[in-house]
Amino acid sequence: MADNMKPKELLFGPILDNNPIALQIIGICSALAVTSNLNTTVTMALALTLVTAFSNFFVSSIRNQIPSSIRIIVQMTIIASLVIVVDQFLRAYAYSISKQLSVFVGLIITNCIVMGRAEAFAMKSPPIPSFIDGIGNGLGYSFILIILGFTRELLGAGSLFGIPVLSKVTDGGWYIPNGLMLLPPSAFFLIGFIIWGIRAVKKTQVEKDSFTPAAHTRASEAF
Amino acid sequence: MAAKHDSVARTLIVALLVCLVCGVVVATAAVMLRPVQEKNKLLDKQVNILQAAGLYTAGMDVQNAFKSIDRKFVDLASGEYVDMPSSYDQRKAAKDPERSERLDGKVDIASIKRQANVAEVYLANDENGELSKIILPIHGYGLWSTLYGFLALEPDADTVAGLGFYEHAETPGLGGEVDNPKWKALWPGKEVFNDEGDVAIQVIKGTVDSGAADAAYKVDGLAGASLTTNGVNNLVRYWVGENGFGPYLDKIHASAQVEAPAADTTESAPAEGEEVNNG
Amino acid sequence: MGMRQILDTKVAPHFHEGGKFEKFYTFYEMFDTMLYSPSSVTRSAAHVRDGIDLKRVMMTVWFATFPAILFGLYNTGYQANMQITEFGYQAIPGWRADIVALLTGFDSGNVLANFLHGAVYYVPIMVTVYLGGFIWEGLFAWKRGHEINEGFFVTGILFTLILPPAIPLWQVFLGISFGVIIGKEVFGGTGKNFLNPALVGRAFLYFAYPAQMSGDAVWTAVDSFSGATPLSLAAAGAIDYSAGLTGAAFTSGSVDLSWMSTAMGGIQGCIGETSTIAIALGAIFLLFTKIASWRIMLSVILGTVFMSSIFNAIGSESNPMFAMPWYWHLTIGGLAFGLVYMATDPVSASMTNTGKWVFGIVIGVMTVLIRVVNPAFPEGIMLAILFGNLCAPLIDYFVMRANIRRRLRRSGGAV
Repeated sequence: MADNMKPKELLFGPILDNNPIALQIIGICSALAVTSNLNTTVTMALALTLVTAFSNFFVSSIRNQIPSSIRIIVQMTIIASLVIVVDQFLRAYAYSISKQLSVFVGLIITNCIVMGRAEAFAMKSPPIPSFIDGIGNGLGYSFILIILGFTRELLGAGSLFGIPVLSKVTDGGWYIPNGLMLLPPSAFFLIGFIIWGIRAVKKTQVEKDSFTPAAHTRASEAF
Repeated sequence: MAAKHDSVARTLIVALLVCLVCGVVVATAAVMLRPVQEKNKLLDKQVNILQAAGLYTAGMDVQNAFKSIDRKFVDLASGEYVDMPSSYDQRKAAKDPERSERLDGKVDIASIKRQANVAEVYLANDENGELSKIILPIHGYGLWSTLYGFLALEPDADTVAGLGFYEHAETPGLGGEVDNPKWKALWPGKEVFNDEGDVAIQVIKGTVDSGAADAAYKVDGLAGASLTTNGVNNLVRYWVGENGFGPYLDKIHASAQVEAPAADTTESAPAEGEEVNNG
Repeated sequence: MGMRQILDTKVAPHFHEGGKFEKFYTFYEMFDTMLYSPSSVTRSAAHVRDGIDLKRVMMTVWFATFPAILFGLYNTGYQANMQITEFGYQAIPGWRADIVALLTGFDSGNVLANFLHGAVYYVPIMVTVYLGGFIWEGLFAWKRGHEINEGFFVTGILFTLILPPAIPLWQVFLGISFGVIIGKEVFGGTGKNFLNPALVGRAFLYFAYPAQMSGDAVWTAVDSFSGATPLSLAAAGAIDYSAGLTGAAFTSGSVDLSWMSTAMGGIQGCIGETSTIAIALGAIFLLFTKIASWRIMLSVILGTVFMSSIFNAIGSESNPMFAMPWYWHLTIGGLAFGLVYMATDPVSASMTNTGKWVFGIVIGVMTVLIRVVNPAFPEGIMLAILFGNLCAPLIDYFVMRANIRRRLRRSGGAV
């Protein structure tokens, strides 16, 4: 798998061509939960990118030693340790952001992207390509998250990184913030729009119909 | 994977090694970072306190400013100061049956269920070392969540110096407007107790008629968020009431009356309110 | 040469394949079929010959909303003028107030003045809705190469009627855009939407701009006015249900409320939702023309009666909504409007007859549940219908499975 992929493809492929969120539709949970402002979004994106890259690296380094019967548990242990370390660092150096992220940093452990890349890529590839693959998938995740965070904070609170950009009515300005943008469901709609946009350009990503009724089929026969 | 990896002994060894390495890494990180974490946690709380008291400006030296603030502990039932270890955590104590009291439904207007016997208070001093603000931690239920915050009073223990919440999950744009600086600016200068000494402060639905005789006790509600407004009203009234800091505040009243006649408070209140706004 | 001939010989060819304006066939077709019947009609014998098609269905529903529209026009103006004449409020300054002041003045006793004051709010909202809908429907139809569907006529009018009168027009535009795109077009357009587009639009506005869509200040179009709707009065425990049907159940400076007045509709609320009687007229028309399902209407009412009776029986000291009888539930808020025009939407409701009963009861029960128990949402019908819409395919699936099993058993086949 890794043999026929260049580092450039590994790094940039997951951004548009094989995006974990937009194509594989994984890692949605945190994408909904942490994107109401850019501070938490960027922190989360960074945390996940680091965890994915390093877990890929370590899993790949010992991939030839891991007995297949306990490989998932070993991967989990490595990922969980990395997540705890990241969480400890955030608590130490970005306390208020870590308070806002609360459980979601911890939940990186269960993020399908990390686990998925460790199992699907790192177990079969050498450490360096695995590391790059981790960074690439992290970038793909970050790409979507930052679009979400940007849109949601700008429209929902009129600010970016907490700095007011659009002056709000409540502060004597003109902008009426869109409260829906601060609620998690808005991320669903936005992800939908992003997927729509990507697939409008990259038609190969459009899924095939699961079935097509034959011509002249009555509705009752189609079931 | 080759089959030779799958022997029982090898599986155990790999599992053990992975656990060992990961355990060491995690433990090291946790231990090394603990002091920084504690410091930041404290700093976060101090910023919240300063913000509630209206003393906070962006980029200020929080630790330095906090040197003039004393942390004390009050036994809520008697209103007396008590000594507690500095690690005392009021939120944890409120969950501990031995250090807290279950509240009866009728008394518990703030819907907090249990209340710690001992509460923290923060006393801010001005440059001359005299008491300038009394800062009380308060909390209570709004619409979706428990709101945690601080209520700051002037030294007369009657005039509000500021109110701020640092933790809540109310609806953005409606109840979430408790964080709006404009709404918070309505609080300084309001009076908590009426002339009879009863709790009179109230968050009302709609807008306060500034010409009315009791306007000094009333604060505008949050537009479109009547349940959060009720929640704030209840929790403020609860914490200044007899089950909250009431006995403690009464003691301060009593000592203040010895020093100065009561009429003094109404005159000085607006001036101090302005000061807070400027700060 | 008649107009039909002009269209056929001079205009239409340009829009057909190979014509100059081939790309704009969509728009040409829309205006043509608005004026005349569609040019391609079913001819072969396999079909039931009937004058009814999608366009006629939609026109009938449109027609059925007329009582609600007329009353809404009058009541919007009346509520505003009443506050102005009797309680000294000022009209919201701007061109609307100028027009009313110039032509009729703000006399709540003058029927024409009430209609005019209502119209200056209603008409701009409606124009915005149709403009927004036309832009999006047109764009999608054009890109996808099909004709513009008439379904939007109904969606547009229903959306207009469930808005508060003083809503800013840009929010109206955003709401209808969201409703049409997310509620309908992304799923393939008319007939493929599993949610009611008008309600999707309203739900969007409700969560995005709660300050303009709920609370006490938005229902009457006068300056800095704040007055509780009957629903929020009920939630505050201010309504006395023992007053009988015509007795004063609530009296305060500006409001004198009885069950009868809530049924007549001279109360605050969304433009078209206040008068249960006007809505009932529309319902009779829809039932008479067999456009709307009587099963759904009846079962929503049954669900409401059932759930509110349960709450009445349980009782509550702290929540006054528990005590509200079902006939009050029916007349206040948007329940009546929702059950007649929204729940019966043939596309998003259940298709099977048994399913329609279940669907309606779910909506009725949910509406009362949300109104009574949820502290944050005073009105439940919007969310209840959207919830019902989501459940509809599932309900139909189980009804069909049950049907298949029954028939297998009857024919002696294996289950």
